Amino acid sequence: MIRMRMKHCFVAVVVASTLSGLAACETAPDSSALLEQARSAVTQAEGDPNIARYAPTELDRARKLLVNAEGAASEKGANDKAASHYAYLTKQMARIAEQRAREQMAITHIKAGETERQKILRSVPSSEGDPSAALLENRQVSQTSRGIVLTLDGVLFDKGKAQLKPGAERSIDQIATFLIENPERRVQVEGFTDDQGTNDFNIELSQSRADLVAMAIIHRGINAERVRALGYGEGFPVASNTDDGSRQMNRRIEIIVSNDDVAIPGRAAGVP
Amino acid sequence: MFTVNGIRNAFWCAVAFGIVACASTPMPVEKLAVARSSIERAEQAQAAHFAQIELDSARNKYAAAQTAADKRDAEVAARLADQADVDAQLAESTARAKQQEQLVTEMDASLRDLRNETLRRDGGTAAPQPAAQPLPQRQ
Repeated sequence: MIRMRMKHCFVAVVVASTLSGLAACETAPDSSALLEQARSAVTQAEGDPNIARYAPTELDRARKLLVNAEGAASEKGANDKAASHYAYLTKQMARIAEQRAREQMAITHIKAGETERQKILRSVPSSEGDPSAALLENRQVSQTSRGIVLTLDGVLFDKGKAQLKPGAERSIDQIATFLIENPERRVQVEGFTDDQGTNDFNIELSQSRADLVAMAIIHRGINAERVRALGYGEGFPVASNTDDGSRQMNRRIEIIVSNDDVAIPGRAAGVP
Repeated sequence: MFTVNGIRNAFWCAVAFGIVACASTPMPVEKLAVARSSIERAEQAQAAHFAQIELDSARNKYAAAQTAADKRDAEVAARLADQADVDAQLAESTARAKQQEQLVTEMDASLRDLRNETLRRDGGTAAPQPAAQPLPQRQ
């Protein structure tokens, strides 16, 4: 009985090991080719001064994995799988070293750029003294309870075009520079029209023009979360709308910069 | 041929194998956990977007490693787990590098704008004032 069991067990072992042997033969890749790739990956990484400088740990790991791969390959036959395995790990680690170096180089570049940005901003006269002073020098700027208000009248857009005119860019530059220097402040862009045309059309027109100005500010490096755009249509007129001159005054964009980090209060009827 | 005895024998063989397998090579639980956490780090670094191929490779090998571990094949499970781990590390580092390089591009563009702005401001005092331009009509 025990002999029978032993025999069955033996047969099972032979079958199982034959199968697994076959499977191993089928899937085991040629380690020498992989090993060659691993060697050249490490050599290439070693030749890159940026990797030596920015990713020495990963390069060292790749070297150690290559030693393992060579070791497994030199032990004849049975360790072909191990050699291939370590060769693969070596190759991947060399690539990791390369990517880490790329990341660190980019970070260094960004830091240098940040320093450069600060240098440029310091060289700009308006950043000296009271930060609001330069803005308030502009004749279109007034200080209100809601914040600093910069009014851009009808010269912003060409007739029928949704593109900012060059004349508006200087004012927007000024706002953007101010916001870069005062990162706690927010800005609200409000669009207004005259009373010609339907109310719905005017609200849409004022909104899309306010959006454009807001986008222009955001494109100058201001976080979109600090910039809000609102279209009030023909609401809150600053002139009578009875003649071309007053209608011209009502067609405007007002840019309100918050006094501090609090949200800008909305407009209520009757409040300027 | 499939007698009760035969089935019983097969059972004892399986038990014997199981014990031998357990005793000689423990399942690479730790390696699997390391691979898992590397994959998670890669996912957090947005590798799905920036290094899709490497991340997929890591995920597939991790799944294969788990299957091998379920079949009590410790050696294969260990290798696959190690490979999943390096694939995930590569996915993470590739994603990070690409993101930083994207920031470099943005930084360069904004610096260029800032330099132009400064130049215009410096030479801008003599430029015509916006208000002096002809007044356009609203459509």
